[in-house]
Amino acid sequence: MIKSSIKRVSVAALLTALASGTAFADAKIGAIFDLTGGLNIYGIQQNNALQLAVEEINAKGGVLGKPVEVVTYDAQSELSKYTQYTNTAILRDKIDVLFAGLTSSSREAIRPIVRKAKVPYFYSSLYEGGACDKQTFVTGSSASQQMSKLITWGLKKYGPKIYIMAPDYNFGTISAHWIHEFAKANGGEVVGEDFLALTVTDYAPILQKIQAAKPDFVVALPVGANQTGFLEQFAAAGLKDSIGIVSTNYGSGNQQVVVSPEAGKGIIANQGYFMQVENPENEEFVQKWHAKFGSEVPIVSGAVDVWNAVHLWAIAANKVGSVDNDKVIEGLEKGISFDAPNGKVSIDPKSHHLNQNIYIAEGNTSHGFNIIETYKSVPAVFENETCDLVANPGQAGHYVPGQ
Amino acid sequence: MDYLFAVLLSSLSSASILLIATIGLAVVFGLMGVINLAHGEFIMFGAYAALTATQQGVPFILSIPIAVLLTMIFGALVEILIIRRLYGRMFDTMLATWGLSLALYQCAVIIFGTVSPGIGMPQMSIAIGEYSLAVYPLLMIVVAASMLIGVYYLLTKSVYGMKARAAIQVPHMARAIGINSSNTNTLTFAIGCGLAGFAGAVLLPIVPATPSMGFAFVIKSFLIVVVAGPVTLAGSALSAIGMGGGASVISSFMTSVAGDIFFFALTLLLLRFYPLGISSRWRFKL
Repeated sequence: MIKSSIKRVSVAALLTALASGTAFADAKIGAIFDLTGGLNIYGIQQNNALQLAVEEINAKGGVLGKPVEVVTYDAQSELSKYTQYTNTAILRDKIDVLFAGLTSSSREAIRPIVRKAKVPYFYSSLYEGGACDKQTFVTGSSASQQMSKLITWGLKKYGPKIYIMAPDYNFGTISAHWIHEFAKANGGEVVGEDFLALTVTDYAPILQKIQAAKPDFVVALPVGANQTGFLEQFAAAGLKDSIGIVSTNYGSGNQQVVVSPEAGKGIIANQGYFMQVENPENEEFVQKWHAKFGSEVPIVSGAVDVWNAVHLWAIAANKVGSVDNDKVIEGLEKGISFDAPNGKVSIDPKSHHLNQNIYIAEGNTSHGFNIIETYKSVPAVFENETCDLVANPGQAGHYVPGQ
Repeated sequence: MDYLFAVLLSSLSSASILLIATIGLAVVFGLMGVINLAHGEFIMFGAYAALTATQQGVPFILSIPIAVLLTMIFGALVEILIIRRLYGRMFDTMLATWGLSLALYQCAVIIFGTVSPGIGMPQMSIAIGEYSLAVYPLLMIVVAASMLIGVYYLLTKSVYGMKARAAIQVPHMARAIGINSSNTNTLTFAIGCGLAGFAGAVLLPIVPATPSMGFAFVIKSFLIVVVAGPVTLAGSALSAIGMGGGASVISSFMTSVAGDIFFFALTLLLLRFYPLGISSRWRFKL
């Protein structure tokens, strides 16, 4: 009895599908984020943003008139899981598009797999820049995109001498490269730099070196909880009054919540999104987020990067009337734009990066930010120079400046 | 000259911070032969205990004993439920405590989430010539020294200390003269954990409480205990000052990476020439 009714239902479904003339299956998206482990400070919010975006898209009629289905995987902050689940998502679950990854190493693990399987892939995090691949779209801001504004701003505000404090891996070293470039181009000078392992907890040595080098401001790029301690110790040593401190990633993992109000006040952060951005889209976004996930933890830029990615994909798929790989990419390369919580964003067809607003914000005493400067629709400088996927669809790589 | 003095002072404070994080591990390893790979998570436990207490309005200074007490109780439970079943089986203990560390880490993520507000460091600094140093990290030199003296007296001069050493060194003889060795062991493990809890609490202004904070400490603490060898307390103090302080001096004149290389290269070198630890031929016992 049950069996036959199932059969009847499925026959009916088949007939409707045939009658409407669209694809049989609903669009299926894969989401791989770090829901547990050390990186879940970012991964949970990325995944939340994806759920929220899909909910909104489905409420507005879905993609190609059908609700979108989501398959979620937990990468557990382990690189090998990204490779494993990308294959699972493609081979077993037959996803149409993939949203995944936080670290550059995770993206580089995924990129060749989606390239071979021809599945569009969105990477949504601020990063050191340089990823270039037909299948890959980047919705976070790149180091050159952020640094181009931050360094000129800092030089004007504080003076020409810069000290760099950066994590000791490619995000830190490539960001440092851009600091050198933009400093040189604008009459600044790097008077010292230090690359730190993520496990360092005691910053007394670098604080002594900073005082010896006498910079006008420090570009600090703390990654992970331990490096947040640098800001606390910098302030406690009484250096904040005489030396400015600016960062492209402070706040991206809610560091402003961890840092005490005294230490956080006056730290300059520069990102593609802050929760305090004022526009109707952001107001609505924040409201929805708070209703669903609560308002205790501030929303980070990575979440908005995912939100934008899902929406851009849905816009492109609906525009071309297909979730097929080639057509969706063609749609995305038409330079579509979206009114996002961080202001209007548009895809650069050549580099697959976003032109987006870059904000400069100042830490206040209530674990939050005040936005003090908005740069509209900033291009991804380096990526647009090195990457042209329209002229060379076969181009693929992770480009590093100066090589 | 000012720079040199500032560097020496701050390096001594770096070494002290490392020593504070290490003493609990040294006591448990030195007295019981148990390698507690969850040591870092006990530090985290203490940090969150102190953080939660301050969030309830307890002054920071009082939150430290609260954290110590809670970590001790938790440590005693762990000893009774897990550790005592594995005495003498070093690798099984390592595996069990490693599993415990993973579980504790994830529990912290579930209970406290991934970001908690820090309590901040007292905004006080002293000037040495034109260099300024934060006061709180310097205070850790005093804390580490008093911790060492306190633990030394507890283990050598108190009745408990003698029982504890007897219960581990010759358990059957200890039992024969009426020492309840299993209770003593529980207490020793709890004290080791309490010291870890103390470290987490007292370092809270320097190292914010996060679920993963244990990882930052456990490797270096562990290496210090291994290099120290059989004379746990004095050995750990010496290797913390030599290795941790030395790495900090190197970091101040070169780069942090060079400091780390120094730390690990020195570990290799010392273990090559003193496979049983630097204190293997010392006369005194703690």
